[in-house]
Amino acid sequence: MRFIDWLDERFAIRQVFKLSMVDYKVPKNINFLWSFGMLLVFNFAILFISGLFLLMYYKPDANLAFDSVNKTIMMDVSYGWIFRHVHAVGASIIFLLMYIHIARGIYYGSYKKPREGVWLTGYILFILFSATAFTGYLLPWGQMSYWAAQTITTLFEKVPFIGEDLVIWIRGDYAIADATLTRFFALHVVFLPVLIIITIAIHLFAVRVVGSNNEDGKKIDKQKEGIPFWPVFMSKEFFVMSIFLLFFLYLVFFKFDFAMDRVNFEPANPMQTPKHIYPEWYFLAYYEVLRGFFFSQNLGLIAFLLSMILIAFLPWLDKSPIVSGKHRPLFQIAFWVFVIDFLILTILGKLPPSGVYAWIGLFASLIFFGFFISLPIISKIESKQLRKGETDERV
Amino acid sequence: MKEFKILLIIAILVIAGYYGIDIYAHHEMYGNLPKPDFHYLDLKDVNIKGDPVKGKELFQSNCQSCHSLKAEGLNAMMDAETAQNAFNVVPPDLSNLGAMLAPHFLFNFIKNPQNATKNPKFAMPPMAQLTDQHIADIVAYLQSVARKNFTGKDVLTDACTRCHSVKYQKIKAFTDEKHLKNYLGKVPPDLSLKGRSKDREYLETFINNPQSVLPGTSMPRLGLTEEATNKVISYLEEIADPHKQQRNKVGIWALIYAFIGVVLTYAWKKKIWKTVDK
Ligand code: HEC
Ligand code: HEC
Ligand code: HEM
Repeated sequence: MRFIDWLDERFAIRQVFKLSMVDYKVPKNINFLWSFGMLLVFNFAILFISGLFLLMYYKPDANLAFDSVNKTIMMDVSYGWIFRHVHAVGASIIFLLMYIHIARGIYYGSYKKPREGVWLTGYILFILFSATAFTGYLLPWGQMSYWAAQTITTLFEKVPFIGEDLVIWIRGDYAIADATLTRFFALHVVFLPVLIIITIAIHLFAVRVVGSNNEDGKKIDKQKEGIPFWPVFMSKEFFVMSIFLLFFLYLVFFKFDFAMDRVNFEPANPMQTPKHIYPEWYFLAYYEVLRGFFFSQNLGLIAFLLSMILIAFLPWLDKSPIVSGKHRPLFQIAFWVFVIDFLILTILGKLPPSGVYAWIGLFASLIFFGFFISLPIISKIESKQLRKGETDERV
Repeated sequence: MKEFKILLIIAILVIAGYYGIDIYAHHEMYGNLPKPDFHYLDLKDVNIKGDPVKGKELFQSNCQSCHSLKAEGLNAMMDAETAQNAFNVVPPDLSNLGAMLAPHFLFNFIKNPQNATKNPKFAMPPMAQLTDQHIADIVAYLQSVARKNFTGKDVLTDACTRCHSVKYQKIKAFTDEKHLKNYLGKVPPDLSLKGRSKDREYLETFINNPQSVLPGTSMPRLGLTEEATNKVISYLEEIADPHKQQRNKVGIWALIYAFIGVVLTYAWKKKIWKTVDK
C-alpha cells in the first residue's frame, strides 16, 4: 500500500485536498497582483526560518548584542551572513509586498462589502509587521537602532496625562537601555510572530469565506467562470513566486545596502547623536507626515497617528456601489495622486526638513489626507450618476 | 500584455523610490565631500636632495630617543611604557613609514609636526636644531630603509594602531585607553567595522585630512600617500566584510538556481493554462 493511501485512510487527505484546493474556484479575470498574498506568506516563512537561525547565536544583552550580530553571525558562523542578509532584506521587502498588496486592494475595491473582515485583518497584519520591524531593528544595537528607537519612543511623551510614565514603561528605563533591548527582544521573537501567525490564518480564512475579488469587481458564478485553485491558479502562483525569488536573491547577495544601513554598523553610543536620524524606508512616509506640520508638534503627532489609522476605515469612507476602480474614472485620478503622493512623502522623509522641502512636506501631507476626504465625495457623485442611469451596466 | 504593463508601473515606482531615497536624499543629506589632496598642497615645497648616510646618524642622535627603527635593528631608547607616560601615546616604529608617507609631507612634518598634522596638541615636539638639509637627509634615510611593497595591514600597524584598536582582528591599541583619552579627549573608535560603516569616499577624505570632515577633531593628519591610503582602506573593507568573495560566488549559484526555477515553473504554467485559455 502506498504511503499516500495509508494517510488517506486515516486523514481523508484526498477529500480534504479536493475540497479545499481543486473545488475551490478563483475568478479567471485576476492578474498577477492576486499572487501577492501568497508571496507575503512565502516571505513571512523566509523571515521565520532565517530568524530562527539568527536566534541561535544572537545575544540579547546591551554589551553583547552588537558583537554577536556583527562578529559571531556575520563573520564566524559559517554562512551566518546569509541568514542575516536574508532576514534584513526580507524584512524590508515584505513591506514592499504589503504596499503593493494594499494598493491592489484599494484599486480594485477589495475592501468593500463583503470583504471588510479581510481588510481589517489585513490592516492588523500591517500594524503587527510594523511593530515587529520596529522592535527587530533595535536588536543589532547599532547607532541607528538606538537612536531610531529613542526618537520614536519619545513621541509617546505627548500622550496626555500619562505620557511621561508611558515612555518609561515602554523603555523600562529613562532612556533606551538594556531593559528596552530585552523587552523588544521578547516581543520580536515570540509575542508578535505568534500574533502574526494567528492573524494570517484568520485573514486567509476570511478570504476563503467571501472569495477573491477580481479586476471588474463583479460577483462571479464560480461554477461557470471560475478556475480551479489547484492546479490552475497555483501553477501561475509558483511562476510568480520563482520570479520573486530571483529578484529577492539578487537583493540578498548583490544589493543589500538599502536594507542594512551603514550607520548601523557603528555600535550604539548613547553619548553621541548621529548627524541624521531616520527610520527605515517603509516608515518614511508616516515620519514625513509627522514632520510635515512643522509649525506644530502636536498637530504633527495627530496627523501621524491618523495617517497610520485612516487606511483601516476605507470600507466606510468609500461607499460607492461601483466596486472596482477600473470602472471609476474619478477614483482613478484620486488613486494615482495618492500613490505618487505616498512616494513623494517617502522620499521627503529622508530629506532634511528645511527650506522648500518643509513646504513640499506640508503640501504632500495635506494631499495624503485629501485622498481620504475625496472618497466619500467621489462615492456620492458616482451614486448620483448611477441613479440617473449615466453609467452603463458594467457595474 | 496587460500584466506586463502592471509590472512596468510597479518597476518604475520602485526604481523611482530607490533612486529618491538611497541616492538623491542620501546625497542631499550628507552633501559633497571635499576631494582628498595627496600632494598636501598647503605645505611648503622642498627641493633639497638628502643623503641617507648622514640621515642615519641624524636619526640616531635626534629621533631614536623616542622612535625605534626595527628594520635596521635600532631600538628606541625609551620603552613603550615610559613613552606613553611622557607623551600619552606610543611613538611609532619608523621602519616603513618612509614609504607610506608622502616625502613632501614628511619633510614638513619633521619641521613642524603640529602644523603638518593640523593638530596643535600633536605629541611630537618640533626640532629647532635641525636645518632643512638635516631634515632632507633624515627623509632620504627613512625612504631608503623602507620596504616599498607594504600591505594595507602594514599601514594599519605602522600608522593607526598606536591609537586605534581593531578588536575583531584581536589588535589592541599600543597605547592605553587612559592615556589616549588624556591626549585626544576621547578613546579613538575601534576600526573593526569602519570599512563597512563608512564608504570608501568618506574614508579617503577623512584619513587624508580629518579636519575637512570633522572640524576640530583630534585625529591628526597623517600624510599617507595615495597608495598607502588606498591599501589601508581596502584592508579595512576586507576585515569588515570578510565573506565578500564567498558571497559573490554563492550569489551567482543562487541566481542560476532561481533562474532554473523560473524556467520550470513557466513551462508548467504554460502546460496547465493551455487547457484553460481555450
Ligand atoms: C593620534 C591618534 C590617531 C591615529 C594615529 C589615527 N587615528 Fe583615527 N582617530 C583618532 C581619533 C581621536 C578619532 C576620533 C575622531 C573624532 O570623533 O573626533 C579617530 C577617528 C577615526 C575614524 C572614524 C572617523 C569617523 O568619522 O567616525 C577612522 C575611520 C579613523 N580614525 C581611521 C584611522 C586610520 C585608518 C588611521 C591610520 C592610517 C588612523 N585613524 C590613525 C585618532 C587617531
Ligand atoms: C620626544 C619624542 C620624539 C622625538 C624625539 C621624535 N618623535 Fe616622532 N613622534 C613622537 C610621537 C609621540 C609620535 C606620535 C604622535 C601621535 O601619533 O600623535 C611621533 C610620530 C612620528 C611620526 C608619524 C607621523 C605620522 O604621520 O604618522 C613620524 C614619521 C615621526 N614621528 C618621525 C620622527 C623623526 C624623523 C624624528 C627625528 C627627527 C622624530 N620623529 C623624533 C615622538 C617623538
Ligand atoms: C503579511 C501580511 C499579509 C499576508 C500574509 C496576506 C495574505 C493574503 C492572501 C494569501 C490573500 C489571498 C490572495 C490574494 O488575494 O492576494 C490575501 C488577500 C487580501 N488581503 Fe492580505 N495579506 C497580508 C496583509 C494584508 C494587508 C496589510 C491588507 C490591507 C490592509 C490586506 C488586505 C487583503 C485583501 C483586501 C485581500 C482580498 C483581495 C481580493 O480578494 O481581491 N492584506 N491576503
